[in-house]
Amino acid sequence: MDGYVITVLSNIGMISFIALSAYLLLITGEISFGQQAYFGLGAYAAGAATAMFAQPIWVGILIGACVAGFVAVLVGALTLRLSGLYFSISTLAFAEMVRLVLLIVEVQVEVDGEMVGPDGANGFHDIRWMFERDISLTEFMFIIYALLAVVLIALLLMERSRLGSVFRMLGSDDLLAEMQGLNTVRYRILAAGMAGAIAGIGGALYAHFTTYVEPQFFNAMLGVHALAYGLIGGLGTAFGPLIGVAIDLGFLEAVRFIQGYRMIVFGGLVAVLLILMPRGILDEERVHRLKVLFSRRNDAGARGR
Amino acid sequence: MLELRGLSKHFGGVKALDRLDLTIDEGEIFGLIGPNGSGKSTTINVICGVYPQTAGSVLFRGELMNGKPPHQRLRAGLARTFQNIRLFPTLTVWQNLWVAQNSPGDIARQGFLPRWFGTTRRTRQEIAELLELADLGHKSDELAANLAFGEQRRLEFARAAAARPKLLLLDEPAAGMNSQEIDDLSWRIRRVRDSGVTVLLVEHVMELVMGVTERIAVLNFGHRIAFGTPSEVQRNRAVQEAYLGTSAAEAGPADGSA
Repeated sequence: MDGYVITVLSNIGMISFIALSAYLLLITGEISFGQQAYFGLGAYAAGAATAMFAQPIWVGILIGACVAGFVAVLVGALTLRLSGLYFSISTLAFAEMVRLVLLIVEVQVEVDGEMVGPDGANGFHDIRWMFERDISLTEFMFIIYALLAVVLIALLLMERSRLGSVFRMLGSDDLLAEMQGLNTVRYRILAAGMAGAIAGIGGALYAHFTTYVEPQFFNAMLGVHALAYGLIGGLGTAFGPLIGVAIDLGFLEAVRFIQGYRMIVFGGLVAVLLILMPRGILDEERVHRLKVLFSRRNDAGARGR
Repeated sequence: MLELRGLSKHFGGVKALDRLDLTIDEGEIFGLIGPNGSGKSTTINVICGVYPQTAGSVLFRGELMNGKPPHQRLRAGLARTFQNIRLFPTLTVWQNLWVAQNSPGDIARQGFLPRWFGTTRRTRQEIAELLELADLGHKSDELAANLAFGEQRRLEFARAAAARPKLLLLDEPAAGMNSQEIDDLSWRIRRVRDSGVTVLLVEHVMELVMGVTERIAVLNFGHRIAFGTPSEVQRNRAVQEAYLGTSAAEAGPADGSA
């Protein structure tokens, strides 16, 4: 594989985390325009852990996920009592706050005679774990996909569990969920924390892949894309947002004749899909039909034997 | 069981409920009737905590419910159905019943891991019984959105029963039903009552109310205008006037102009 393909595949993998993060909130009925903040916090926290305090990358990723998850719980506790549009606007405002704060934060320590750390608008340079350990891009790509697989499997198991149903209950009828004995505020905060942590893992990987992050990358466009991936790919299963990412970063990036027009084609695609398939390609109805189809096939196979 | 004391709910200047007193005894099927807009649904909504009351109090099994959020009231033993059917359309019939098992007893008995990540044999057995109660065994794996209207009504009923309520509030469960379906519903209501559940039935369909309830309260403009057994209520003059209006000849002397 050449460097370009590896970079594209790695980007697909890393952006998948923020897509899954936005997806988790979408199934609970919350439209967050602010998941990029947790991606950014994860990137900075993980970068700080490895570059400034010489921690191994696993610790860095864990810290990135924890910081992002913790902040998401705090923000969730403050904003989740808002509903609908008000919640969405508050997430956007919070994410912009994070970005602007990162633009002015300068905390640097001396490592091997060089100053390392967040440097305001100049970004956070020299997150060089990959070079220090002599890890190739291909190897790092496998790390990305291994972690993505872990998160994806965890989400798929979650959806099979009662918690998955509870999240979908919040998404389809909040009041009914409350009247069935569920403390909806608590579950929303839990979802926000999980979504924040997932975005944080993606950010942590991103910081180490690019060795350099700047606040400007975590702008509202990233959050809007994260939302769009779930809406395109479908809200019926965690595979949905991954399909969305693959369509945008894989297919649209790869097709030469739409190069330069990617955003226009992507925007049009979102509009068309929202009209034809309001809950995405793999929506709940289609996922259910696929499940029935597979279980029938298995039944038939079992009977055949 | 349930005691409403001076319960009022005002929406702006509209007094949807005005100092309502009502006591429901354990084990009875209690009917609450009244013309459109008389405050029946508001009563259920205030009891369940959807709206805060303007004044008065809701006492359930001796415990003051005022100010408690709906999920705590459910855990105390209050479950309900809705006038407009409310289900989780993207969950299957089975899942709709499964996620409704939120009584403190169920949570304690099921244990953390089986509750959140699987099911116990007993849970599956109980859901099978609920499916049988609702006559939906054959639709177990169907999405709730794909059920016919009558089936959705039955699922809603079973869903409310799945919460193991001590008091079941039914908000117009017979709306749009034919005679046969009303018979089935009466059977279902009696069966739930016989399992130890008190029932408050809010209903327009007299065929159901008169057949199944033991005591009835009649509301009009947020006031209780009559109270008694079904036959007493049917003979009550104030009730007849509320439903049918007063004739001009009778109304004349009443307002003192003749």
